[in-house]
Amino acid sequence: MTATAAPSPTGPATAPSVRQPTSQWAQGPAIPVISVLAALVLGAVFVAISGKNPIEAYAALLLGAFGSPYDISETLVIAVPLTLAGLSVAVAFRTGLFNIGAQGQLLVGALAAGWTGSQFPDLPGVVLLPLTLLSGVLGGAAYGGVAGWLKATRGVNEVITTIMQNYFIVFVMHWLLQDGPMSAPNALGTPASSPIGAGAMLPIIIPNEIVPLSRLHAGILLAVLAVVVFWFLLWRTSLGYELRAVGLGARAAAQAGIDPPRRMVLVMAIAGGFAGLAGMIQVSGLFHRVYDGFSTGFGFDAIAVALLGKNSPVGITLAALLFAAFQRGGTIMQSNASISSHLVDIVEAIVLFVIAAETIVRAIASRRGTPAEAL
Amino acid sequence: MTALVEMRGVSKRFGELQALDGVDLVVNEGEIHALVGENGAGKTTLMNILYGLYRADAGTIRIRGRDVRIAGPRDAIALGIGMIHQHFMLVPPLTVAENVVLGDERGGPALDTRAIERRVRALEERFKIIAEPSARIEDIPLGLQQRVEILKVLYRGSDLLIFDEPTAVLTPQEVDELFDIVRTLRGEGKTLILITHKLREVLAVSDRITVLRAGKNAGELVTRDTNAQEIARAMVGRELRDIRVRERKRGGRAVLEVKALEARSDRGTAALKGVDLVVNEGEILGLAGVGGNGQSELAQCILGLRKVSGGSISVDGTDVAHDGPKRTRRRGVAYVPEDRRVEGLVLPFTVADNFILGKQDRAPYARRGILAAAAIRRDGERLAKEFDVRPPDPAVIVGTLSGGNQQKVVLGRELSESPKLIVASQPTRGLDVAATEYVHERLLEQRARGCAVLLISSELDEIRALSDRIAVLFEGRIVATLAASDATEERLGLLMAGHAA
Amino acid sequence: MELLLGAGVLAATLRLATPIAFAALGGVITERSGVTNIALEGCMLVGAFFGIVVADTTGSLPVALLAAVLAGTALAALHALASVTFRADQIVTGMALNILALGLTSYLNYELYGTTGTPADLPEVPALVLPGVAGLPFLGDVIGHQNLLVWVMFAFVVVLQLFLFRTVPGLRLRAVGEHPRAADTVGIDVRRTRYWAVLASGALAALGGVYLSMAVAGSFTDNMANGRGFIGLAAMIFGRWTPVGALVASLIFGYGDALSVSLQGVSIGELRMPVQLLSTIPYLLTILAVAGFVGRSRAPAADGLPYESEGH
Repeated sequence: MTATAAPSPTGPATAPSVRQPTSQWAQGPAIPVISVLAALVLGAVFVAISGKNPIEAYAALLLGAFGSPYDISETLVIAVPLTLAGLSVAVAFRTGLFNIGAQGQLLVGALAAGWTGSQFPDLPGVVLLPLTLLSGVLGGAAYGGVAGWLKATRGVNEVITTIMQNYFIVFVMHWLLQDGPMSAPNALGTPASSPIGAGAMLPIIIPNEIVPLSRLHAGILLAVLAVVVFWFLLWRTSLGYELRAVGLGARAAAQAGIDPPRRMVLVMAIAGGFAGLAGMIQVSGLFHRVYDGFSTGFGFDAIAVALLGKNSPVGITLAALLFAAFQRGGTIMQSNASISSHLVDIVEAIVLFVIAAETIVRAIASRRGTPAEAL
Repeated sequence: MTALVEMRGVSKRFGELQALDGVDLVVNEGEIHALVGENGAGKTTLMNILYGLYRADAGTIRIRGRDVRIAGPRDAIALGIGMIHQHFMLVPPLTVAENVVLGDERGGPALDTRAIERRVRALEERFKIIAEPSARIEDIPLGLQQRVEILKVLYRGSDLLIFDEPTAVLTPQEVDELFDIVRTLRGEGKTLILITHKLREVLAVSDRITVLRAGKNAGELVTRDTNAQEIARAMVGRELRDIRVRERKRGGRAVLEVKALEARSDRGTAALKGVDLVVNEGEILGLAGVGGNGQSELAQCILGLRKVSGGSISVDGTDVAHDGPKRTRRRGVAYVPEDRRVEGLVLPFTVADNFILGKQDRAPYARRGILAAAAIRRDGERLAKEFDVRPPDPAVIVGTLSGGNQQKVVLGRELSESPKLIVASQPTRGLDVAATEYVHERLLEQRARGCAVLLISSELDEIRALSDRIAVLFEGRIVATLAASDATEERLGLLMAGHAA
Repeated sequence: MELLLGAGVLAATLRLATPIAFAALGGVITERSGVTNIALEGCMLVGAFFGIVVADTTGSLPVALLAAVLAGTALAALHALASVTFRADQIVTGMALNILALGLTSYLNYELYGTTGTPADLPEVPALVLPGVAGLPFLGDVIGHQNLLVWVMFAFVVVLQLFLFRTVPGLRLRAVGEHPRAADTVGIDVRRTRYWAVLASGALAALGGVYLSMAVAGSFTDNMANGRGFIGLAAMIFGRWTPVGALVASLIFGYGDALSVSLQGVSIGELRMPVQLLSTIPYLLTILAVAGFVGRSRAPAADGLPYESEGH
């Protein structure tokens, strides 16, 4: 990977177009729909080849995701952090940056939130919850900001930095929770942090009478709020305008006075903030403490969600729901139909591949008569 | 003299642009042939066709009397044709010797560095082109790098060497050294084609000259029998068009003052070597010159998009040389950039959004960081109408507009807030007649308003039609500043080609 | 002292460095040709898995190794197709292939072996006992009983270093990675060069994977590579895109890993050694390296950029 490049006055090179589709045809939902359908078809073929029944597989998948109110609630439980992680990746894509670090930023946010929530367990919810939320967001933002700063000042490719950061925090987390300063005993005997105070917990919002044992917590409201914030930031604020301008026309933005390097730090911090919020939600709403090795795998899914959702608020939400359904349905499919839940990974990979193939279409389209640079 | 190369009736079109239209070229064996013309004349396109980088739409090529098809560089190399590109095709971390032999290493799979260096050294001695074979390209200066390009071509046994604007990156001394090399090569029986717009080179080393103008033949001359004036006339001469007659104002106070400006190009060469110019209020100063002589760099320096390494730039008395674009613009500087699609507009944005580019963080378009959608839409409608954008719909995506309308959006943004200074760089490039007229009208309007306009253009027509005074930029310096009435085409042509008038 | 430089730790260093080095060597080859191959992790995984499966079905070690290499090459071929022919975004397709590899191997693992896991008595890649050396006190423990594939890895380091810097094909490959247009204009086939490089990287990564499954563990578990493909990329960067550098970096990273095992449970006074933090060293070092804080790290100039040949 291109490791270093002098920070050019015109800011980041506009990201390859698959990350930010700009052609007219690519604007609509055609490609995401096609890619999902293609992936499902290929997945079905694959299942058939391995001797199982694709109809059975997909039926189990569907039922597992939406079959009962409880299933729906479980799907939503996954969709919430996934949406936030998707927003994290998308906001960076909009500026032309590739945030692979959503996973790491999520974990930092979780650790920060977990720490805050458990350090002051007796504070009332009205104080502790916002405090915990803030820690999560700021933790993720700081972690993301580091990658942005490295890129802005030393031209370091954010792809490399964020991948490294992802792994870095995993091991730090191992230490913190296994025998380090944050570790605390728990009923399961697994490495984890101290439980957070009641005031830091996000309440379950579905009453037991409607859906017994539902785990769906108030985090879903935060996620909805985050989607609105994402939309508002990008399309209703000056900053958002500048971010989009840099992502779609870096040189035009530069000559107009929009300063790319400073934006980079800010964007990566905002991206980190969204992911950090996801981490906080996992702690406050779901697990009530930080378990070593929890909530892995959001990072890559988030990239798929952002690409499939075309970095747009509605798209990301739908894509997150889709992938959450896959994940939830997959687990049930495995236990009920004995088909490995990893089928959904295969489907997901094909989706990504088909999206990446959009560039073929673009490449063909752009061959039509562009004048040579010099005559 | 036998003809080595005969290109007849060559045509090439790129999209809407007819780059070459039935062009003929005859190059005799053992001569140095100059291929001359301004930007857009078609010289490089023609040579790219000869070298196989492009395929012509029509026309024939004969090498030594035989019809040939050149489908790619490999075919050209096989025919003995070699090209020394303007942008060197050298691999920086590899050595001189490695670059020379790359692709034609001769010998087994093992890399015998010593043998290769020996071979290259022998080649160097034969043609008197010296460059240390074991030096890495990234460590040697551009002048030496060019020699490596020449060696590459000679190594492959080329008899015909094409040089594309060879002196663009050379110091004066290196230019003389290049001329020596060129003469030596001719002495060794090689045939050379020099693509250039500089009269000095043409007169110094060439035997015969072919002039191209706007994609067509404009003259075949024998160097010995012609002179600078004749060549220049062929380069720029065109049917006389009605020059707009208008009231010639005497300039007011100076708005833009550039003194001894120095700056480097992207490649690290000195692009501006001490530029002096002044633009007064209520006047249009036309900056004439063939592209590549520092025009882009000058515009960028004024706007704060390029680092200034010496000299000063002041707008209305304030030094802006080291300010960034935001600050410079706040002083009332507007910019119509060369490449509207990449520098002037964010193509996927709407017309309205493009109108506010650069103004998105202040009133009336934003209040405390929040965009004022109503104001943006309202001004979008107003400006679209005022600047005749078709269709006048602020919600249209700018990328779907025609070139002319896109430029109107740029104008609408840049001219709508009464700037003090407008830097307009190739403002009518790629536009049709109607759009060009429109742009000219608006610029004249600004001039009448009292604005200072720096018009940078390689279209001589445009320069002469609009300017009150004309400055000529050549090799990073202003070689002359004339009143418009003194700037005949011939004179300008000579100055643009580096010949003191 | 024993814990830091004992024969056990050094032997472990070699063991742990080997899969990383395989991946890093693969990375060096592709990136030197100008293609970013993030999918090395995936190639490693399919190598590990298909080696085991074929060993199970055929009982033959050589055939299993061949199958593993082919599997890795096949996955890499997909990446080459997408990146070189279709000029798709190399990061996205690389990611997609990693997810595909993970999903595929886990899926098939479940289908073939259910929850009982891979069989226990599969042929394993033997250790290479060095005659004479094996008996020596210190040296013998460190290098005398290393696995055959460890030596294969060393051999590849030498071969690739020579290939890149002392052969004509290697010269051309480097040219393609630095300035593909220059290489194109002298008649070098940029696409073909890159294809070969990507395929080779898949094969090398697969060797690293089959080392994990058939030389170390004797079985396959889901997500066996566990990020070693990415550490390999880190080693490549830290090793400045040369085979020898990649080896040195892999050894350093391997040493960190070995330490984290040998120092486990050790306390300095009151404090337990934070061995997990040792595992962060590769990632930290890589970030410092690319940021220029630790020497100058410069990737091949055309790395990661799809190449478009001139229009005709």
